[in-house]
Amino acid sequence: MTGAASNVGLVPARSLIVEPVDVRFRLTPGDHALVAAGETVVVGAPIAERLRDPGLEEINVPDRLHPEPGGRWPGLANRRDGRFEGGEFLFTWRGRWRVAGGALSDPLETPCAGIVRHVRAGSSITVRAAGRGLRGIVGLGGPTRGRLRGGTERELRAGGLDVNAAGTILVVGSRVDAETLTRARAMGVRGVVVNALSSKERRDFLASEARQRSALHRLPSFAVLVLDGAVRRPLAGAVLALLGALSGHEVAIVADPPMLVFDVPGLIVPTPPVDLVRVRAGVHAGREGRFVEAIGARRFGGGTDVEACLVRFADGTVVAVPLGDLERFA
Amino acid sequence: MTTAPRAFFTQDTGAATIATALVGRVGSRWRLIGSLSLPIGSDPAALGALLVERATAADPSIAVALGLDHTPPDEIPKVEVTSHPAPRLALVAGSERALVPLVAAAARSGWRTSAASAEAVDPLQMSTMLLDPGVDGILAGAGEPPAADERRALGELGALVAAAAARRPEIPIVLAGGMAIQLGAFGELGESGRRPAPVLVASAASDGPRGGGLREVLTDLALPRDDARRALGGAANALADLLDRRVDIVDIGFDGATRAAAWPTNSSVTSGMDLAVVPSAGLAPADPDDEVVDRIADWSPGTTDRHRLRDRMRELRIAPWADAAGDGVALRLAAARSALGVLDRATPEWGQRPAADLLIATGGIWSGAPPASALVAVIDVLRRHGVVQVGMDHARLLAPLGSIPDLRERRAIMADLIDDLLLPLGTVVMPAGLRPGRNPGTLVLHGAHAGAEWNGASDGQVSPIHLQPGGLASIWLGPGASAVAEFRFHDAVRLGGRGRHFAIDVTGGLVGLVVDLRGVPLKLPDRADLRHDLLETWGTAVRAGADW
Repeated sequence: MTGAASNVGLVPARSLIVEPVDVRFRLTPGDHALVAAGETVVVGAPIAERLRDPGLEEINVPDRLHPEPGGRWPGLANRRDGRFEGGEFLFTWRGRWRVAGGALSDPLETPCAGIVRHVRAGSSITVRAAGRGLRGIVGLGGPTRGRLRGGTERELRAGGLDVNAAGTILVVGSRVDAETLTRARAMGVRGVVVNALSSKERRDFLASEARQRSALHRLPSFAVLVLDGAVRRPLAGAVLALLGALSGHEVAIVADPPMLVFDVPGLIVPTPPVDLVRVRAGVHAGREGRFVEAIGARRFGGGTDVEACLVRFADGTVVAVPLGDLERFA
Repeated sequence: MTTAPRAFFTQDTGAATIATALVGRVGSRWRLIGSLSLPIGSDPAALGALLVERATAADPSIAVALGLDHTPPDEIPKVEVTSHPAPRLALVAGSERALVPLVAAAARSGWRTSAASAEAVDPLQMSTMLLDPGVDGILAGAGEPPAADERRALGELGALVAAAAARRPEIPIVLAGGMAIQLGAFGELGESGRRPAPVLVASAASDGPRGGGLREVLTDLALPRDDARRALGGAANALADLLDRRVDIVDIGFDGATRAAAWPTNSSVTSGMDLAVVPSAGLAPADPDDEVVDRIADWSPGTTDRHRLRDRMRELRIAPWADAAGDGVALRLAAARSALGVLDRATPEWGQRPAADLLIATGGIWSGAPPASALVAVIDVLRRHGVVQVGMDHARLLAPLGSIPDLRERRAIMADLIDDLLLPLGTVVMPAGLRPGRNPGTLVLHGAHAGAEWNGASDGQVSPIHLQPGGLASIWLGPGASAVAEFRFHDAVRLGGRGRHFAIDVTGGLVGLVVDLRGVPLKLPDRADLRHDLLETWGTAVRAGADW
């Protein structure tokens, strides 16, 4: 390895593809886990029932039961008072058990196949997903699954959506607004992958999502995966190539961790050249080029002395860029 | 031939940056050979190799003397510390009133907090909070003895926490103050060794030394032994001992802030140390709410558009090392001031102690900023009347050296490195009791090294300098220079003691002597444009005298 090539290690690296992927699904007390650790789950399998409006009851437990915190209370037969039938034991106080439960629940389906690693009643279910993942910075809504469909590399507007997108996960490029997201959800789009989502659009979408979730008749699960940040910039070339290769395949979006999960065994993902770097910030933000060499501390705007390097862009220009403004995929 | 190492690396791995320094034995002393700070995600081995390469290029004979020519960088010993992500503590109490001191104690002991009281939430909500997979510890507390408003709820609260403890055996449980009586509810769980994480009993939460027991327990649980922020306490202790001065170290990190104070023994007090690790005072909060954004906007000379500022704060969170030049400097310094404010409010007892003689700023945020801007940012927020020297831990050596467990060894190495550890920024003089709007008086610098410059006036001037009311000004006094500053105030002021005439020994730095007559606390105009103009004026006043 040459000196310059070894110096590329000074540029912060992030993984393009993550493997293995452990997906966590949150539960709250009263939710009913339908799987146990070690079980295999397939795509779309219900793994839990989530209570819509959990409540608390005090009950006297028959002697034949031996309850413990986190255990299931089977409920009493023929109760007609409108209250819930079963639930989850929380704790005992003065000889009576406090039980969390509720009348209405929604199924929680796993968007990816895998093996259940942990089930913690009232807390979480963790599934080791089959396949690999592309990490984002935040996942909103979801989890969801659909066929990945490439869209525009620029900003997608609400008017640019068509009904053919129903059931798909759309890649919408650099940025998207809340109106487009809510319209996509209404049209049956299952998810959106976007490079950047501004704080205002994020807030508006989350408010809309909360309203939708509180409705009695809910739309199918919808998720937004933000890959890069809050400020508009184009998708990285390596990410674009991966999404291009995944186009037409079934993928899932999960929120914890924020990730696009795919199980395409034969997929060939081109490995980015070791010296390919991307500028994240500054006047050259979004551009990609080849790392030339580290040049030590340089003074940039604002009187700041920072470590810098030379980068050669595709047009042949070579510029000094702060090392901190760069990233590469490993 | 000796096998004792003649060089070692220090490495401070933060949440955003990784700082490496090369320390070598030159002659009979350890000296700093070079240092480098890069974004986290950079290859640490590449950092070490680059440092060795630069040292060799700069002085081949030193490289040979230190054995760098025949020792691969990855075989050079390393003293390493890491800033671990702050864990989350769920706090429960019988009443809202009882919750306040618990939150205050936990929030400055290295924990992020979620809190609920039996008075305000039902057992289901409380159980949901305790069972959240993001919770790393539980603190249940009460007064000692419990007050009337919390006593009734303690039994049920104990049962609820015991049930959560049974379901979360991997997380530690702390019962503080009057909650300790509920230990029986935990049955076998309460016995040591029956679960992977302990159930501990601690004293009640309270301000001052009485609450020190609980804070100590929480700090031990939150911060591993090799934690960088914890190590700053050891560094402060050793420095106070070596310099025989009161030392205050302030670290603003990506994911939290730390304040470590240490003082030597004198006629009235014995030596001591205090450490506060405040995760909520991080440079880039994970989810900047309106309060955070408004705080930063107050200090920001640029945009005050909330959405835009929030976007930039999110970007800072995602890639804290990026955009560190140009506009990014102003944003970082505004965020640093905001974080310092949170840190200052979380450590109110610092204001009751005598002011520090030496204030040290450390953390990645300061190392990239222009020295004058860094100094102004610190004194804009941490305001104490008196005279203080300000330095910067430019090579991020303090935390690694502070982590050396053997006190004698730590002191010996720090004594060798004392001239290299800190980048002197200057001396700040901040008198109290000035009358607003009145001409404060004059300043004359005396001494062989007084080569001073007053906002661009000629070098070497010793004629009286007229101080401006409510102003901030700097007088160039270079690193290593010293002088006697003679102040003649028109009215009696407090500067150590009370009087009109003071002669103070001052030392120089990259900024010089800074005379701050702006008052304590600093009052900023409500109108954004006036506020920004004033910040710009102060920044210009200090930069004008600085040597950069």
